[in-house]
Amino acid sequence: MSWVEKYRPRKFVEIRGQNLAVEKVQNFIRNFKFGRKAIILYGPPGTGKTTIAHVTANESGAEIFELNASDLRDATKMQEVLRPALEQKSLVSKWKIILIDEVDGISALDRGGLSELLYLIEKAQYPIIITANDIWDKKFSPLRSKSELVQLKEIEYGMIKEILIDILRKERKFVDISILTNISLKARGDIRAAINDLQTIAYGDGKGEVQIEERNKEVDIFHALRSVFKENPKNEMMTLFDSVNMSLDEIMLWIEENIPAEYQKEELMKAYDALSRADVFKGRIYKQQYWRFLIYQNIFLSYAVSAAKREKKAGFTSYKKPTRILKMWMNNQKNAMKKTIAQKYSNLTHIGEKRAMRDFPIIKNIIRNPDTIKELRLNDEEVAYLEKEN
Amino acid sequence: MISTIWTEKYRPSKFIEVIGQDDIVKRVESLTNSLNIPHLLFAGPAGTGKSTLALVVVKELFKDLWRENYLELNASDERGINIVREKVKNFARTKSLGEVPFKVIFLDEADALTPEAQQALRRTMENYSNTCRFILSCNYSSKIIDPIQSRCALFRFKLLEKRHIEKVIKKIIESEKLTISPEAMEMIYEGSEGDCRRCINLLQSTASISPSIGIELVSTIIASAKPKDIKIVLDYAISGDFQKSREKLLDVMLKESISGQDVIKAIQKEIWNLPVEPEIKVKLTEKTGEAEFRIVEGSDPFIQLQALLASFVMAGLGK
Repeated sequence: MSWVEKYRPRKFVEIRGQNLAVEKVQNFIRNFKFGRKAIILYGPPGTGKTTIAHVTANESGAEIFELNASDLRDATKMQEVLRPALEQKSLVSKWKIILIDEVDGISALDRGGLSELLYLIEKAQYPIIITANDIWDKKFSPLRSKSELVQLKEIEYGMIKEILIDILRKERKFVDISILTNISLKARGDIRAAINDLQTIAYGDGKGEVQIEERNKEVDIFHALRSVFKENPKNEMMTLFDSVNMSLDEIMLWIEENIPAEYQKEELMKAYDALSRADVFKGRIYKQQYWRFLIYQNIFLSYAVSAAKREKKAGFTSYKKPTRILKMWMNNQKNAMKKTIAQKYSNLTHIGEKRAMRDFPIIKNIIRNPDTIKELRLNDEEVAYLEKEN
Repeated sequence: MISTIWTEKYRPSKFIEVIGQDDIVKRVESLTNSLNIPHLLFAGPAGTGKSTLALVVVKELFKDLWRENYLELNASDERGINIVREKVKNFARTKSLGEVPFKVIFLDEADALTPEAQQALRRTMENYSNTCRFILSCNYSSKIIDPIQSRCALFRFKLLEKRHIEKVIKKIIESEKLTISPEAMEMIYEGSEGDCRRCINLLQSTASISPSIGIELVSTIIASAKPKDIKIVLDYAISGDFQKSREKLLDVMLKESISGQDVIKAIQKEIWNLPVEPEIKVKLTEKTGEAEFRIVEGSDPFIQLQALLASFVMAGLGK
């Protein structure tokens, strides 16, 4: 189970670093009958918006009715789903809380969906909690005027570190304190990112023997992979890899390795298509030494791979190190003998070494003849390899 | 010493022994007899006699001294044009031995050189034109830049016909005291695809197991040389197991030293045996062609092949 889920607060007292916001939400629920019908929790990712909504429902004994972007693709769907929920009483519990998560990510709002949402807020019999990263776009101004606004600030670095230490204690895992500091700083207020990084590192090496340099680097690439694979495509993604302490070629190998861990079917195809286009531009850079192509390689590798998915992904994925180069190296070691044999053979037969390697399944039978072994001056190791190949 | 490897043992060393390229042989022979050959460009499929004819030329020109006056290079094996130039320089620095006033450099698989490298090669050819003649060989003359083509006499080698291959096989069967069934002979011809070297290798490879060559033995040898595992790679993809599919792909490519283009070739053939709708076969063929194009253009074969396999996963879903 992902630690982000496992340690998600269930009660108000468990929520840390957002006291003011929690208080405001509690007041909103208490005064619902008299005040506004909707509350907007806004702030950067990983600051607890969705968590606060769920805890609110939990503590007030309400059933949560969550609508996410995909449910609200278009206005008709919204009507279909949201109206009955407002009009009928819940079967399970008396209270309901309507949650509209990440309202600024719902593109359908541009196509008449917004007025529908405003209408629903007016008619609502239950409190509506709306979350958003950014609510200051002009198009949201009618929504803002009908709702109470609560800003969630980035969680302070010291608090993040405390939370991480708590989790490690409960998990009985050890991670070096300097790495915890590093994770907390890098998270820049995003507790979800921090916990994900922590889980990656704790699972990567249970003994806690970590090399800080190496880990720092990996925190970066894991972070980048998570953004690309899990989140919706954002313009900032195009510069994401600049902050990763690795060459773009190396990052490409990481993406290549981990696409199937995250994507399936159509998404898989789209993501590999993006990767292959990035690779085409890489080839053009090498061939023509025209470095402006780098920008295209970068965009296809980040934004386009991210845009291959239908909607953002939840949960924890353990990303793997690229294995291809290692496998190629190991194979070269294993093939070293085959290569020297092919070399000797090709010298004698006026063909290329590469062709000799390709034809090896056929010519190995010929070479195995003791007289041919002598003619090619094969050494004992090479002869042993031939015998083993049988 | 006579070689134990039949492709060498039975390689023609005189013009009259060369099989199947009568016109070319005649023209090259008269050039050789004049003791003043131009640069030559031999174009044609593998195993049709390009290297053999080059060797005959130098043996006829230099007789016993041919080894001293002959340099053989393979463009696909040398690491870059600079190595080629360095070797040419060292070889061309000394004068030729004997009566012929030049040495001969044979550059095999010259079409493996990029156009830029070929430009450099052209300059090298000019610099040493007093002391050296070049014989270039390639599969497609279109891949050789015009300035080089215009400096060479071009000869197009044809694929060997069945009767030519059979003649070669019969000669070897007789001299090695083997027996062969007509079906096995047919199969060796089919398996060789008009490539004489491959045909002789198949023959010797089979004969190394038994002197009486039958159809079963031949088919086993041919099968062992085919990238048959490509079918497994595609089966995994079609059934939706992408991870296994790509693992197997890397495995096949590394273990059997086959190039991305060879894999593409095998995939393209395999499409027609897949259990999918005709419309999807067409779509897959288009994707395969695009992948091959990108590889030829200089992309990473493994990445392109993975992208292609992802399309096969979709094909398995009927899309």
